[in-house]
Amino acid sequence: MASLFQLLLLNQKRSLCTKVSTSKWKVKQVTTSNFNESLEEIKTHISSSDFIAISMEKTGSSSTTPWHRVQPFDTAETAYLKASQSAQRFQLLQFAVCPFSVTDSNNFVAHPYNFLLFPRDELKLGMPAYSFLCQTSQLASMARQGFDFNACIYEGISYLSRAQESVAKIRLGTGSPSLAAMKSSSPPTVADTVFVERIRSRIKHWRNTCKNSGAKTSKDEEIINSIRNIVLGNDQFKSRPCLNIDVCSERQVQLILQMIVDFQDDFLPLVIPTKSGTTQAVRIVLANSREDKELLERELHSIEEEEGKKIRGFREVIDLISASQKPVISHNCINDCTLVHSKFIAPLPSEIDDFVSSLCKSFPKVLDVSYLMKKSGTMKKVANIRNALSYVNTHFFAPVDMEIPDQDTEYKGNVDGLDALRLSYLFTKLCSILKISPIVPEFGDRRLASELEDFTNVFHPCSDDIQESSCNEDVSVWTNNTRKINCEHLVFLWGFKFGMTAGMLKSALRASHDIFSGEFDVRFVDKSCAIVVFWQPGLSRDFINVMNGDGISGGLKELVSDGLRVTCYETYRTMCRLGLWEMDLAESLEKALECSLSDKEINCERKSSEIHWCNDNVINFADL
Amino acid sequence: MKPRKLHSSILSRALSRALSSSTATTTSPQCGSAFPLKTVTVANFEPSLTELRHHVRSSDFVAIDLEMTGVTSSPWRDSFEFDRSDVRYLKVRDSASRFAVVQFGVCPFRWDHSIQSFVAYPYNFFVFPRQELAGFGPCNEFLCQTTSMDFLARYQFDFNACIHEGISYLSREQEREAIRSLNSTHDSEWSDISKLNDVRDAPSVNMADILFTARMKDKFSEWRDGLLQEQNQSGQIQGTRKDSKQQFQEMFFKTHPALKLDGFTSRQLKLIQLVVKKHFKDLSYFNVNNEVSGSQQIVVYTDSEDELNLLLKEVKEENHRAKEAKIQSAVGFRHVIDLLSSEQKLIVGHNCFLDIAHVYSKFIGPLPGTPEEFVASVNKCFPHIADTKILMNTNFMLQERMKKSKKSLAAAFTMFCPQIAGGSKSTELVSPSHVKVNVEVDDSRSSSWNPGGKHEAGYDAFMTGCIFAQLCNDLGVDFKLHESSKQLAFNEKLRKYINHLYLSWMHGDIIDLNTGDKVANSTPSYNLKRRYPKIMFENIVIIWGFPSNIKAGEVRECISKAFGLTAIVSVYHLDATAVFVQFSKTELVSDFLLLKESLERSNGPISVLHPLAKLLEGGNTCAANYDTYKEICGSPLSETLFADQANKVSMKWKTKLIENKISLSSEEHESSCLHDNANDVALNLVEKIKPNKIDQLRNDQSRGQASPSEIEESCVAEANL
Repeated sequence: MASLFQLLLLNQKRSLCTKVSTSKWKVKQVTTSNFNESLEEIKTHISSSDFIAISMEKTGSSSTTPWHRVQPFDTAETAYLKASQSAQRFQLLQFAVCPFSVTDSNNFVAHPYNFLLFPRDELKLGMPAYSFLCQTSQLASMARQGFDFNACIYEGISYLSRAQESVAKIRLGTGSPSLAAMKSSSPPTVADTVFVERIRSRIKHWRNTCKNSGAKTSKDEEIINSIRNIVLGNDQFKSRPCLNIDVCSERQVQLILQMIVDFQDDFLPLVIPTKSGTTQAVRIVLANSREDKELLERELHSIEEEEGKKIRGFREVIDLISASQKPVISHNCINDCTLVHSKFIAPLPSEIDDFVSSLCKSFPKVLDVSYLMKKSGTMKKVANIRNALSYVNTHFFAPVDMEIPDQDTEYKGNVDGLDALRLSYLFTKLCSILKISPIVPEFGDRRLASELEDFTNVFHPCSDDIQESSCNEDVSVWTNNTRKINCEHLVFLWGFKFGMTAGMLKSALRASHDIFSGEFDVRFVDKSCAIVVFWQPGLSRDFINVMNGDGISGGLKELVSDGLRVTCYETYRTMCRLGLWEMDLAESLEKALECSLSDKEINCERKSSEIHWCNDNVINFADL
Repeated sequence: MKPRKLHSSILSRALSRALSSSTATTTSPQCGSAFPLKTVTVANFEPSLTELRHHVRSSDFVAIDLEMTGVTSSPWRDSFEFDRSDVRYLKVRDSASRFAVVQFGVCPFRWDHSIQSFVAYPYNFFVFPRQELAGFGPCNEFLCQTTSMDFLARYQFDFNACIHEGISYLSREQEREAIRSLNSTHDSEWSDISKLNDVRDAPSVNMADILFTARMKDKFSEWRDGLLQEQNQSGQIQGTRKDSKQQFQEMFFKTHPALKLDGFTSRQLKLIQLVVKKHFKDLSYFNVNNEVSGSQQIVVYTDSEDELNLLLKEVKEENHRAKEAKIQSAVGFRHVIDLLSSEQKLIVGHNCFLDIAHVYSKFIGPLPGTPEEFVASVNKCFPHIADTKILMNTNFMLQERMKKSKKSLAAAFTMFCPQIAGGSKSTELVSPSHVKVNVEVDDSRSSSWNPGGKHEAGYDAFMTGCIFAQLCNDLGVDFKLHESSKQLAFNEKLRKYINHLYLSWMHGDIIDLNTGDKVANSTPSYNLKRRYPKIMFENIVIIWGFPSNIKAGEVRECISKAFGLTAIVSVYHLDATAVFVQFSKTELVSDFLLLKESLERSNGPISVLHPLAKLLEGGNTCAANYDTYKEICGSPLSETLFADQANKVSMKWKTKLIENKISLSSEEHESSCLHDNANDVALNLVEKIKPNKIDQLRNDQSRGQASPSEIEESCVAEANL
């Protein structure tokens, strides 16, 4: 067993090695040790490229429980919920970025990078992740492909999402106070006025002494000054005199900041926070002049930037991609985007529209290559980029030249993170097959070819318009399968005898009730649960009514007595929303039913907000 | 620690591991003076197990230590002062069932009379929960805590070795299940060997199929005819006929002539099955699972029906055996646990309650729901467990020695065994009160090595064992008089410490594994440690989901305003989203829940101006008693924030509260009209609140701290009431 495993590993390595040696597939590997220099490099590459291909490796996917994956019978909403659940639970270990430009219809220039990531709690704030989930099978398969876990965990680059960064800044107190944010909540009381006046006179006094001591310096006065400094709490900040004023509430901070404005503008207030995020004191720095104050502000700003860089870590790269507003190429758009959003932007919102609008703010154009694959006539769903590439290579003749101009691209026998490069290769190839020009005009509004625009920001896994456009010719063969149905006509069924096949279940149902005299189909989702598709509208509702009514009789009664349970698509949706991800779908549906029974009113509220989803309720039966 | 240097060493290590499967033992290859340790991976598991078996049998005790991928799944699952022992157990259970064990250190210690010292055999097993049997085995998912991973990385834990070559395992329960399912398919296994699985599913309407079927029919009849001819003309060898495509290979299967099928697709095999079944009475199709050659498809010629049946039975049994062997090999690392359990040796750990819980959940079965059940089942598997931490802390004399130093394992090691920890070369100089320990790995013995070994489970187990030996010595256990045949666990001087484990170190709860009772901790230092007033769990309310800017002090302030200053004993932050509030009286718990509920129901000015309104702002504030907290801890979910977790567990928290209220009020025999309408509730409230309010005002004034605005506010509230 062991030796077999070793052999397998060796084979894997060898095959990868031969592949690399014959072609010039190489990727710059980036860890903490060379991150800063690589960041500068990639910055120029991103700005000079037309597209950015991304691909990532995470600690698990939901593939072991089939129904946790996005299924054809999922609407955009449930698909999003499934993807976001997986994105939240697992961690990124590797992020491959490949900025590339297509120079000619079959030639592209690429700058592939592979970043090793590890969520290290560098600030001791429990961020970016307190804990994360790993899937053994996923880790084992990564190991088979030669992934270096030691390098990843020892030297992986950490990061914080944008939301986490702002939390961290507050807690670390690096955030600069802004007067605008501090709105005066209540009119000043007597106590406030007393406080302000006391502080004002103290500041005045201190300022005068500062100015005076600058004017003339005798030795005695120096000594007196230094004693005074100790007594008054004076200090030096960046070789400028400053005064620390202890405060005991946020209200006092606000008062001090407001009062400072009244003085001439050579004062710079700095808020010193405590560990828990509240303010401990206000430090007032006295600048020599207005120019000096600006200088100081700039200096503080750059320090803050530097700190921020350290906090953001790998997210710098994401921010660069986002700032460039270049189209992002991904292979499994919904999975990748939910992952990027949850790790680098903010926690995933519960509604898909919120997610899409939030994502589009950062990444205005996301292209999914799997749609291009579909358009090229591949009906088969290709799971990963490598398979997709080999499929395209064997089925189409479309030579593509790849150029990786970087001389310093490090190759250390490590071939991790080729997927982004493969993706850009695949993209160029598919464009050449489909006769789409991926060349982005140098000037103007940098619009993509209209065919490509169609594929941007499609977050529905089996969106229909694309389907239709790709199946024009094949209608005669595929009519039977491309039938689409509104998800209202689906009924989930479980509690039948273990070991039944779809055929057995179908005939059992047909014999059980008149409703099943019409056309219907049965499809198993997992071993415990099946979907019944009623082709005739309204029958699904009738069936559920019959099941819930008292008048069950005959064969159906027999089935129900054996434990048959039924629910509509709405329950499935509720289940996804509530995040009831049990191993068996039947178990989850059962729980969802329990919940929906107990709070009907919540359901009602939700209904109204979901009406606009009806368009997406159409499902492609071909993939069922 | 220079990262670049580190990297190259990792790379070379990874490469050497990947390229050579022959490195059976990686016994510190660089320098001979590093701590000798036997590292065990998949590659050398079998021989190491045999070796270990021998060492464990002859040992006096066995020290163990585990490295896990994490300890707490979310911050609020950390251990708190406010954890009752059953809650503490639930937290341990959560930890043990979520995180994976990545390294398991086992170190048998044997007293060698000839050299008057202990001999230790440290083993360091890399463990990884790989699924080696489809559908059975360790859970496919495990959690990692980033800080723990970082910790492991700091001590240069070899993750590659763990994931590439870690030994997998099946728990006893998983093995039972695998065998059960094997036996249940055993009877219906005809399908695997000769039955056509739903041939109707693949109707041969395809022209290609028909042609293929016809060709196969010809092939088989030709072969059979050839065999029959051969039989008739006995002695004549006919070896010239060989299939060009090598798809059919002639062979003998259990003395029957047979054809081995090679290079067919599953569909083609199905068609072949069909042909054989349909057209040939004396041929039969077999799918043979063999330990050596794996799965094979063959077509066998048999002379008679009886012969065929006999053969079928034989094949069936062989397949069964092959599967059983596969299960046995999947048991993997659990063989080590079975060994420790069956030898009934004294197991020694350091603060090992969590370790034992891990051992149980990974290798025995799912952890039971209560600490009592858990303790009973553990005692069955491991009758003698000693915890060095207990020995260190329950003994006053040892306590004194430990007082000044830190409590970590390494600190204890340097404290109690300075001669071993320091790695002093001249063992003769060591004072007689110190126990001598030699280390033996692969039959080579050493007594000195460089101090400061890596933080590995094997080394930690070794340290634990050394401390234990030294502590025993200090307690007056004389190993020189001790016969190795006699169990150390029954020694008079040790006996009272055996099978006592810290359930919660912070709380000082000790659990007795023999009886399941909690043992009172009477150590002097423990009493000094107690910082909080005595915790009355029935007086506790847990509140979560309140506005995020409210801190513990403000919670106390709010509640004190409503219930009086003496009502609250303590307020304790669970995390940023939840607090424990301990009331002075048990009744106040239900009073508080009632008040909160009624305030939420009425929208009048009372609820807006009520002192609790600040706490209830936002409408998401939930409250419940201690039992709900226990329920939430017992849930298999794990959210980072307590409020999220609580809301997920009790998704219908409003009804939950009503239930609470009804049960509580019925306990108190309050008039039922209380629930009937809001007015009555309000009236009741006035009565309840008024004295408190006045009380509070008086208090405030007497302390001279009440700000004018505060008094104003409360006056308005009263006026409205």
